[in-house]
Amino acid sequence: MRFSSRARKHVILVMAVTGALAAGPSAALDWPVDDRVLTGTFGEDMGDHFLNGIDIGGGSQEIHPVLPGELVFRYDEVSDYSSLPRGLGTFLVLRHGQDVLSVYAHMQSGTLGPEKDTYDVKDRVGFAGESGHAQSPELHFALYDEEAGSMVNPLALLPVLADTQPPMIRRVVLAVGDQRQVLVDGATLRPGRISVLADVVDLREDVRFSWPLAPYSIAVSLDGNEVARIVFDSLQVQEGRAVLGPRGPSRDAIYDPDGLIRCATLDIHPGSSHLRIVARDFAGNETAREIAFTVQE
Amino acid sequence: MSRKKRPARLFFIAVLIILIYFVLFPYPLGKEMVAKPAWVVNIAPTTDAGQPTAPAAADIPSAPFRLGASFGFVSSRGDLLHTESVLYQVALSSQNFVSFTRLGTDWILQDQTGARISSFSGHGYPLLSSEGSRVFNVKSDLAGIVELNSSGETLWSRDFSGFMTSVSINRDFLAVGLVNGTLLLLNREGFPIMESKPSGSRISVIFADAVSPDGSMVAAISGIDPQYLNVLRQNGSVPEVMAKLALPATFRREVRMSFSPDGRYLAFEGDGQVGIFDPSRRSVSWLSARGILAGIGYGQAGRYLGLISRAGGDVELSVTRPFAQPVAHAVFPAKDLYLGSIDGGLLLGWDGQLMRLDVEEL
Repeated sequence: MRFSSRARKHVILVMAVTGALAAGPSAALDWPVDDRVLTGTFGEDMGDHFLNGIDIGGGSQEIHPVLPGELVFRYDEVSDYSSLPRGLGTFLVLRHGQDVLSVYAHMQSGTLGPEKDTYDVKDRVGFAGESGHAQSPELHFALYDEEAGSMVNPLALLPVLADTQPPMIRRVVLAVGDQRQVLVDGATLRPGRISVLADVVDLREDVRFSWPLAPYSIAVSLDGNEVARIVFDSLQVQEGRAVLGPRGPSRDAIYDPDGLIRCATLDIHPGSSHLRIVARDFAGNETAREIAFTVQE
Repeated sequence: MSRKKRPARLFFIAVLIILIYFVLFPYPLGKEMVAKPAWVVNIAPTTDAGQPTAPAAADIPSAPFRLGASFGFVSSRGDLLHTESVLYQVALSSQNFVSFTRLGTDWILQDQTGARISSFSGHGYPLLSSEGSRVFNVKSDLAGIVELNSSGETLWSRDFSGFMTSVSINRDFLAVGLVNGTLLLLNREGFPIMESKPSGSRISVIFADAVSPDGSMVAAISGIDPQYLNVLRQNGSVPEVMAKLALPATFRREVRMSFSPDGRYLAFEGDGQVGIFDPSRRSVSWLSARGILAGIGYGQAGRYLGLISRAGGDVELSVTRPFAQPVAHAVFPAKDLYLGSIDGGLLLGWDGQLMRLDVEEL
């Protein structure tokens, strides 16, 4: 299976710019596990950082490489030669092609098997577990583009998971300074600069309990003009801070302490206005919230 | 007949003269160095809450240990100051510790006796500098680090362009190695004062790093095919490469490496051996060490070096004077292992026992 850097970047670029999710590209990778229950999505708020890959539940199960690769780094939690605290638990890193690394973390200790240099997709790299900072037996899977120096959303390259459940926009909140109010249709507002925050979660039908996931993108339009777009496709580090995309927001900038996503900052002027927020997930499901409001003279 | 006896008599006299000469003018032999156990203590079964077992005296040096599921502090006289069971992991320094659970976010910094010093929170895992004056939170994705003050407030935070594969801290500097082969040296404010990406290998990655006690040198083991020892000297923002030596090693995991407390040399794991890098000569000498190097300890500020390595169920202990003669060597079976330093001696731990080893000149 070919996995060139050019093709990969083309895939991500196309998806980021056009949002052509439903007609997504043919998968470049194989899923690393058979039982795929998505319990964490790229860009989720982890308290002090973005989730830089995906978490796959489904219990303890065999993990296989997503592509043939070469071992770069491995660590078993029970080893006594390391001094670095390992939030990733037992983990392993493979290198594919010229500049892509795949990371398999939170594996069961002692399941890495004998050390070897190269792995085929049929080889077992370990078993999903709950080593390190894992909430339950799972695989944390991440992709790192060495050339771009960025973490890439694995869902852009893995085969599409069937999902007909669209994201939810549970509420939209306006913030002016320290003042906040839930924005409802027909609201009357004062002119000035406002921040738009939204409680947006993605839900999946294969997760039968309430497990909110990050959406793939959120777009905000005011009076028909797109004024902001947040896309959870890649993470880079700018001036010592992880940001979405090449120059996107940092975690602190995007996530409100109450769990809301800061979607946009707008200047509103007297008259009638129309706000539209569209949330998409990676399967292409979409939810829109339309809110009409009046701005006082 | 008397003619036959004369040569024998002369020979006897010559031997006698030589013997008398050596008795009167003995040749000064080099002093022999021996490793002597000073004491051995058993670590009693402990409770999660921990138990102080002897009062701490401020004027008696002590050292931390981590041995299997237990950790604690022992004085240089062999008194256990504190022992406790490891919850999930423990961040240990020479003065304090944080014992933490796998998913907990509230941590307590405790002193050598287990007394509470302060508390703080984080979403990753705590890490202490070796002397305990600095507290860090390593983010759970290994892609960022935060330094906290004694009140738990963030002093600085820094994310990295790849996740961390190695870290080392001294009082004023923090070195971080990344999976993408980048080596960073951060100052007290978390600002990168040196950034280097050792080249020459087919795959770039850092497997170990170390900062010299005065912060003037940073070392790293980097790359796959080939693997290199890199020693850099701080020289403004552009690091000066002191040494770049290809190693006969093929590691794909973190390896142990540290500078001696006197900064005279750097010890690091090789493949079935341990390298001793001499910065003044920019050369490496090798000692044999079976299996995986599990610990490095220094005695008398680095005048002698202790090494423990693990191969199967056996442990190999070596005590040596760097660039000179070996002092002691032993192979024994052990499951749990620890090697550190205590008041100029070595602190060796194995399977529920702690021993202080001193090297003396006879």
